[in-house]
Amino acid sequence: MIKFEHVGLRYGIGPEILSDVDLTLEQGSFHFLTGPSGAGKTSLMSLMYLGRKPTRGMITMFGQNIGTLNRNQLAHIRQRIGVVFQDFRLLNHMSAFDNVALPLRIQGKSEKEIQNNVNELLEWVGLGDHKTVLPNTMSGGQQQRIAIARAVITRPRLLLADEPTGNLDDEIGFRLMNLFDQLNRMGTTVVIATHNTQILERFKHSTLILEGGHLKVEGHKNWVRKKLEGVF
Amino acid sequence: MNRITGFLSKKESLLGVQKGKRRYDLPLDKDKGEFFLKLLIVLMSVLATLAFAAFFTLSAMGERWSSGLENKATIEFPAQDENDQPLQFAAIEEQMEQAAGLLRADPAIETIDIMKKEDIGELVAPWLGENPDMEAMPLPGLISITIKHNAYFDAKSLQASLQTISPRIRVDTHQSWLSSVLRFTGALQFSAVILMLIIGLVMVIAVGGAVQSRIAVHKEEIELLHLIGAADQYITAQFQKHTLLLAVQSALIGLLAGGLLLIVMSWIAGQMDLALLPDFSLSWAQKVMMLFIPALIGGLGMMTARMTVLHALQRMP
Repeated sequence: MIKFEHVGLRYGIGPEILSDVDLTLEQGSFHFLTGPSGAGKTSLMSLMYLGRKPTRGMITMFGQNIGTLNRNQLAHIRQRIGVVFQDFRLLNHMSAFDNVALPLRIQGKSEKEIQNNVNELLEWVGLGDHKTVLPNTMSGGQQQRIAIARAVITRPRLLLADEPTGNLDDEIGFRLMNLFDQLNRMGTTVVIATHNTQILERFKHSTLILEGGHLKVEGHKNWVRKKLEGVF
Repeated sequence: MNRITGFLSKKESLLGVQKGKRRYDLPLDKDKGEFFLKLLIVLMSVLATLAFAAFFTLSAMGERWSSGLENKATIEFPAQDENDQPLQFAAIEEQMEQAAGLLRADPAIETIDIMKKEDIGELVAPWLGENPDMEAMPLPGLISITIKHNAYFDAKSLQASLQTISPRIRVDTHQSWLSSVLRFTGALQFSAVILMLIIGLVMVIAVGGAVQSRIAVHKEEIELLHLIGAADQYITAQFQKHTLLLAVQSALIGLLAGGLLLIVMSWIAGQMDLALLPDFSLSWAQKVMMLFIPALIGGLGMMTARMTVLHALQRMP
């Protein structure tokens, strides 16, 4: 479903941030992406949500070679991807409701469908009474929940989350992880970049480790072993 | 643990781009500096309205002069004889009677109108002011003739015949005067068209610049829309719609202001009562055509916004 072959990424004429990344993520799989700061996690995520083009190598998503697609086709691919950005990237001139509804509006869904789904999801993330509130008047945790609701509202086939629990308390963090689990059980491929060792230990999923721009795909047990050996 | 049901159980629908949105995903209507773009479009619209009106007025003037002098010629009898001695009007009247005989014999001439002294006095009155002393003034004689439609009229031959009565008699078919005037009005009309093109160009530059600066201001929001699946057309449509509304609103104000200015100019021209000033009033058809100015400006603004945004989006991932 997602295949990276010898993918490299550099910014301008700087050194390669990612080198020879080979990766295959099957439909419906669940992965954590971890590694030390500066290892290239956010850069790898940006390649996955088509925010950047690789400087070399080939990326295949949903059976299509990304390098051969035109801009409209890329937009359609992006509509199948939900992203929780590390810095949330909410639109501050829009209410919480409109921020969450945005992907549905872009996809041309009916207002009735938008009302039903957005209201339900806002209730679920505990912000049912914040529908008309502007994001810049909310706390970091509230903004993060809005960002997560926006990412999952379209039931994406691929969900990417960059430190999604960073600003949340443990209880809400675990509830959101359970939401990601639910989506995963319905066939959504999930990739979560995180440093949260509690989450890594509690949810037994494949762990991708990035070190110095190189990717290592490790099973969960191996990750625990490395952690115990003091690799991180 | 809460379970969410609705949005997880719905069928995945066809992907597409929403059309006809009521609201903007980008805060374009909250941008500072929009006032100056509106003001510029208002001023451009005033100029466009005046240029349109000038074009129509000049066109009507040319047409009026052409049709008024079509198939007509004037026989002029100077108020001096061949030795530059002044002639009494009675002597000129005698020449005109003789000339009328010759004119009646010409098969190409349909009607002959020998102008009386009072009529000639009325003609020259706008240049001489009120109550001039006509008796003391040497006035020329004039015969206005109408030429039959499709008939061959030989002005030179007629003039040669008439000059047997007096060598200074002249046949004026108005062609040289008319062609000079029509050339002049044509040049003015061309200038009005050039002015409209310049207005269009200024519009394109102003709207293009404003849209480019908005793209720079909202780069992050535009990138976000892209990343959550908005196609270029979706983002472009927001700029197009916003620019169309802004341009049409501003152009309507400009049209109204330009229209008021034309009414004032027409009123002032009426008060001055000078025959040479053009009539600024427009026909209903021309007024209806003027209503297309906001539509033209709106369309131009919209297309400029579209091309500018599409060009800028090509540089984004």
